[in-house]
Amino acid sequence: MSEHQPKPQKVRPPRSFGWTAEYDDEHQLLEAARRVREAGYTKIDAFTPFPVHGIDTALGIRRTKLPWFSLIAGMTGTTVALLLQIWTNAIDYPYIISGKPYISLPAFIPVTFELTVLFAAFMTVFAMLGLNGLPKFSNPVFTNPKFDRASDDRFFLWVDSRDQYFNADKVRELLEATGALAVEEVREDDSPTQVPKAIYAAIAALILITLIPGAIVLNMRNSKSPYPRWHVFFDMDFQPIRKAQQPTTIFADGRVQRPPVPGTVARGELGPSDPFVLGYDPDAVAANLPAQGPSSRLVSYQQDGDEQPPAPVEPGAREQPPAPEEPPAPTPAAPDQPASSEPEAPPQQPAAATASQERPVSAEESSDGAAEQTSATAVAATDDDAVGDEEAPGAVATGDAGGEPNYAWLQTFPLEVTAELIQQGRREFEQNCAVCHGLAGYGDGLVARRAAELAQGYWLPPTSLHEQRIVEQPVGRLYYTITHGKGKMAPYADALTPTERWAIVAYIRVLQRSQNARSEDVPPGVDVAASANSDNVR
Amino acid sequence: MSSIAATEMDNTIDTPGRRTPLVLGKQTYASVTQAIARISEESQPMIWWVTFVIALAGLMMFGALIVHLVLTGVGVWGNMSPVFWGWPIVNFVFWVGIGHAGTLISAILYLFRQNWRTSINRAAEAMTIFAVICAGTFPGIHVGRVWMAYWLAPYPSLNLWMWPQFRSPLLWDVFAVGTYASVSLIFWYMGMIPDLATFRDRSQTKWRRLVYGILSLGWSGSSRHWMRYEKAYSILAALATPLVLSVHTVVSFDFAVSQLPGWHTTIFPPYFVAGAIFSGFGMVLTLLIPMRVIYNLKHIITPRHLDNMCKIILATGSMVGLAYITEFFMAWYSKNPYEYDTFVFRAFGPYWWAYWIMFTCNVISPQVFWFKVFRRNTVLMWIVTIFVNIGMWFERFVITVTSLARDFLPSSWGYFSPTWVDIGMLVGSFGLFTTLFCLFCRYLPVVAISEVKGVMSQHAHAEHLHASGSHHD
Repeated sequence: MSEHQPKPQKVRPPRSFGWTAEYDDEHQLLEAARRVREAGYTKIDAFTPFPVHGIDTALGIRRTKLPWFSLIAGMTGTTVALLLQIWTNAIDYPYIISGKPYISLPAFIPVTFELTVLFAAFMTVFAMLGLNGLPKFSNPVFTNPKFDRASDDRFFLWVDSRDQYFNADKVRELLEATGALAVEEVREDDSPTQVPKAIYAAIAALILITLIPGAIVLNMRNSKSPYPRWHVFFDMDFQPIRKAQQPTTIFADGRVQRPPVPGTVARGELGPSDPFVLGYDPDAVAANLPAQGPSSRLVSYQQDGDEQPPAPVEPGAREQPPAPEEPPAPTPAAPDQPASSEPEAPPQQPAAATASQERPVSAEESSDGAAEQTSATAVAATDDDAVGDEEAPGAVATGDAGGEPNYAWLQTFPLEVTAELIQQGRREFEQNCAVCHGLAGYGDGLVARRAAELAQGYWLPPTSLHEQRIVEQPVGRLYYTITHGKGKMAPYADALTPTERWAIVAYIRVLQRSQNARSEDVPPGVDVAASANSDNVR
Repeated sequence: MSSIAATEMDNTIDTPGRRTPLVLGKQTYASVTQAIARISEESQPMIWWVTFVIALAGLMMFGALIVHLVLTGVGVWGNMSPVFWGWPIVNFVFWVGIGHAGTLISAILYLFRQNWRTSINRAAEAMTIFAVICAGTFPGIHVGRVWMAYWLAPYPSLNLWMWPQFRSPLLWDVFAVGTYASVSLIFWYMGMIPDLATFRDRSQTKWRRLVYGILSLGWSGSSRHWMRYEKAYSILAALATPLVLSVHTVVSFDFAVSQLPGWHTTIFPPYFVAGAIFSGFGMVLTLLIPMRVIYNLKHIITPRHLDNMCKIILATGSMVGLAYITEFFMAWYSKNPYEYDTFVFRAFGPYWWAYWIMFTCNVISPQVFWFKVFRRNTVLMWIVTIFVNIGMWFERFVITVTSLARDFLPSSWGYFSPTWVDIGMLVGSFGLFTTLFCLFCRYLPVVAISEVKGVMSQHAHAEHLHASGSHHD
């Protein structure tokens, strides 16, 4: 600034900034601006109460770069919005809404548009202020009291003293010749430039005060406290309820947890001791329950793994071999004699038998725990069930006798087998079983065939129902398999009622019979040759 | 030179070949400054105090009801199955709609070079901001747990570990209304900076000078500053124009994107925007007609301004009426039984009264503006604008409540009844709005002084050319 200053005429403490000429009409201002510019001055400006049309060309004001700021900010807004939405909804936390793709641009348009406008608008205003050098609270032109009317009805022309042709006298002459109301010099503002210390102190105090809540929060976040979290809003974190094991005064016994109301039947415990529901005779199992240590039982439960361990059996009850007073009701039944079709009320169980209801004692544990316990049970277990496989309920091995083990499986249907029942069984079989086991039961259902096609190594093919060991299984055993599943086969107890399960067993029996028929089965008088085209006959 | 040679007080008649003056009487730049600046410099008239005290009472009631709501829960409202969007959403859409006139006047009319906007844009923009504040309050308290409202913002939450759902119209709404509020505010403020400088320069007291000095950011009126300011104003107008249209479009998406009969229609965006402009101009007139009388601004807010606004109300009111009829036509023509039943239910069901209040106020009442006598008589005009405000509130009520009241399951049909809290909050939101507007009149320039002067200058220039041209003939 000082290098352009003319040689100092008088030593004046306040520096000269330039000269103003005052007009009361915008047309005079325009005319004066043109003349001053023609005289060669370039550092000139006008101060007007409103934007005067044509002043830009009169003063030689160049166009502003402002639109570029808006454009770039708007593009930034677009980019930020798209990245924000794609990052949050498609990458960092992807989830599908209304079947739209993760990056669903049509749904992102509104927010993208809004952020574009938001960024561009704010940038426009702040860039305008920034390019104008605002806020600027100290301006030498404000020192002139007359200048207050620059925002009212007066128009000021300004020649800066930094102009390269600036000469105070010539400028004054030039301005006075334009018909100005007044031509005045603007000097340095001699008002104190020091901001009062009190303002600094007040600002510092304000900043410190605003920092306090944040500091408290940070301190709380990073320190340990024996007290619960301090909640501004409780939400539902604290409620007038008691948690488990806490005492209460509401109930006489002081316990929060309430025992079941007398007569409550827990889930899965409704009538389980009925052979109709179980597929085996629990009384017979109880009668043959071996006395064994809890550890071996535990091991076998763990081996099974899929059943919950039963309640621990009372030691005393375990020591003494259970002796049922009366023989079990539904069995034995003569093979030809139809069993009762209606399930009966579950008979009373000895304490030890209750433990084994849920999961019958397995053959293994029977063999190691109570090998010698050969009990002449009332169960009419047939000897042809030579199935040495796992988890046979109530399988009481005769052990050292070397004979066939005894089973408590129901040997006959506990309900009347009718044509309707078999038809029902066929329906249920084709709906539930055939998909794996095949319509004819050969283990060649669609799922099995597909799996074979895929050649998956871990696929365990479904069992053919015509294998000898399956054919020889008693109906109770088949029923038990349907109820509890086996291997990969899921349990169907939840999907099928006991009657439906028995119906399926009946149909399986029909299937087995049909696929394993012998010529003796043909009733006399039927021409076998006539029906020879029936390929199913083997 | 700086005066306008227009002595007659009626500028609603167009004289061929001459520009109709937008400022009446023998006005100078100084007299315009004086007419507007004195409003905030002199003591307020008694009617201001009466209005302010009543409005403040309404605002305090609003605050008390919000506290009651937050402490008790949203059950204090009448929102009940199946009408879960009751009055709070009705009020929200109502206020957002009103908030459309200001930015429309500042932006769209600016781009169309409608110079008459200069006298009314400041008050209309202020009204916009205050209406959007009222509007923003309702969804804010409608979220139930108000202290969790910040979850709407997309920030990496430490508690949730998840982000907002950007494919939801409700989130678009947050962005649209938020952007509209902030852009309108900054647009309003930027437009006020030169006038705040005028207030600063006229200040008689040190405090006034300090406060207005800070607010005006040291505006000096330099031509370079004006040049950038005008450029910024044009850019903002260009940005705000699509923004205005987008806001109520997005608000209408809240409804239209859902599957509910009566909401799920493609006509909603234009229909909502037309309704918003309609209600916004209605509210601008409701405010300006008393204001120009109380503050003696009849020569600045002239009959021509009111006449123009009446014409806009007539046009947008007819558009809204067309939308109502189109909705009915589409309900019948689509042969969609659900859509059809919903609309029959609207007009002839238990809410028939609301529907016909809406239809009468919005479609029939503005038709009086076909006649010039209604566009000249400010009392009749004011009554019609009140009808427009009522009608537009009922429009949102009809859309929101009647569509919800008939669920898909007849077993869950219900009838909505507001509680006293609902009514109190609607009244209280008017208290908030009026309080803010009173304070605006008291402290801020109610008319864009510099813009009015700019228009005066242009007109004087045109008159000058006209006079000299005829002289040469």
